[in-house]
Amino acid sequence: MTISKIFKTLTLVTLLTLSGNALADDLLIDIQKRGVMKVGMATFVPWAMRDKDGNLIGFEIDVATKLAEDMGVKVEFVPTAWSGIIPALIAKKFDLIIGGMSITPQRNLTVNFTEPYAHSGQQMAASMQLADGFDSIDDFNKSSVTIACRRGATPCIAAQKIFPKATVLRFDDDAQAFQEVVNGNAHGMISSAPKPRFWSEAYPGKVFLPFGSENLTRGDEAFALRKGEHDALNFFSNWITINTSNGWLDETHAYWFQDQSAWKDMVAPE
Amino acid sequence: MNRNIPPPLKIKKRLTLVDCLLYGAVALLIFYAAYRVNDVLIYHWNWSKVLGFLVKFDDETQSWASNLLLQGLWTTLRLALWATVLATVFGIIMGYWRTCQNLTLRIISRTYVELIRNMPPIVFIFIFYFFVSSQIFPALGIEDIDSDGAFASSTIFHFMFGDPRLFSNFLAGMICLALFEGAYITEIVRAGIQTTEKGQWEAARAIGLSPFNVLRDIVIPQAVRKILPPLAGQFITLIKDSAIISLISIQELTFVATEVAATTTRVFETWILVGFMYFVLCYSFALLFAHLERRAKRSQR
Repeated sequence: MTISKIFKTLTLVTLLTLSGNALADDLLIDIQKRGVMKVGMATFVPWAMRDKDGNLIGFEIDVATKLAEDMGVKVEFVPTAWSGIIPALIAKKFDLIIGGMSITPQRNLTVNFTEPYAHSGQQMAASMQLADGFDSIDDFNKSSVTIACRRGATPCIAAQKIFPKATVLRFDDDAQAFQEVVNGNAHGMISSAPKPRFWSEAYPGKVFLPFGSENLTRGDEAFALRKGEHDALNFFSNWITINTSNGWLDETHAYWFQDQSAWKDMVAPE
Repeated sequence: MNRNIPPPLKIKKRLTLVDCLLYGAVALLIFYAAYRVNDVLIYHWNWSKVLGFLVKFDDETQSWASNLLLQGLWTTLRLALWATVLATVFGIIMGYWRTCQNLTLRIISRTYVELIRNMPPIVFIFIFYFFVSSQIFPALGIEDIDSDGAFASSTIFHFMFGDPRLFSNFLAGMICLALFEGAYITEIVRAGIQTTEKGQWEAARAIGLSPFNVLRDIVIPQAVRKILPPLAGQFITLIKDSAIISLISIQELTFVATEVAATTTRVFETWILVGFMYFVLCYSFALLFAHLERRAKRSQR
């Protein structure tokens, strides 16, 4: 056998094993074989949160549970720190992210997104002490204004874009960002609706919504998958299309987002 | 006999007026700080939401069960125990290699120790989690452990490793901590072995003992006595260090606390409570080890 022949055989063998792997690695088949779909998520009211007994509840939990039901498999949630959720997906710690993740071009370069299954928006809660009477974008777009947000998430990007002159304070967590507003250290904070609204209801007289219930931005939330999972992407996208058409997604979204009174008692004793 | 030397000072056990004044001043300062915090911080304290995550009443079994935060505490404790066992194994092997004649073994162990001690823990943890564990675990088939299998669903497994569904998560955290703390234990072991005087080695070799026998009968018994107290200290350090691995989403106390804080939006209450839980855990171990050490000293005499 000549060297070139050996080389050719080796290449062929490698190609065959690779293509074989590509078939075996199909995510949909994997999930069905395992009988379990592993979903990466992060706690974020009211997308996913803990009830009194420590169980996960929320909009996303409902979505993932129904998705798994329709596939005929069990669902397993993998609570993950938000800042590391994309690396964890790529490192195959779970099959997909159903975590209220907004589609952004930057994220899309690293992961694949399905059709959007929800449309969120950014809302602002402001301090009555510092920002009383502020009701326009210009009022907040000043160098003397401080705006708090959760780092690594869409709100911070929105804050910088809409209020380029303001100082942006980044926090690990929404609640900390909000606390800065209550304490009068920040004029306002930006977070995904409806959290700012829930908070302004919890602190009347301290916090208000300067732009009413109108959202600052519109986001498109979708499931995130690893690059190359085309079959699974097609399946999940169509699942979303069906459940948008039949109204199930809208209905479920309304239950969790419009009014907290429907589920507030489940979350924590007052 | 020299009568000029004064008798040794008795250790004071009673509080004098000065001590009381000092305590009073400290208490005042704390009260003032608390008052200032309340003044600056506009915050409705609400402990009931967070405390509810300690224990829950299980309707099915009609009994109290640990809720999220206590489950997190047990995971932290399990992690610390297993990681210490594993780290001690690493530490003994590497520590022995550190003192070996063989150059290769010395290079390997030295590299391990220096690599870990000169890297921030968080960097090491990220590298380990995203590159090492995600390559090794699927190859070993640990990810696909059958959580309904006979062993995995038994109470023994549950007691030792927690929820079988979280086993690979638990294992990643445990190995990560063990590798990290192992480097420090290596140095403790090395110090323990090396404090045995050279003369003892030479004497033992001179009466015809093999290197293994020297180690077993002369060096190790002395080393163990020197190693145990710092090892106990390292165990407590490990409990505290384990908080870092919450960043790779290991479901221990700190990670669970971030979830509770996010759900309840009670950030201060959650972290004060969690800080207190860590303190109770670590301080009880400190007291236990101090007690054991005193007993060991007494029995030596």
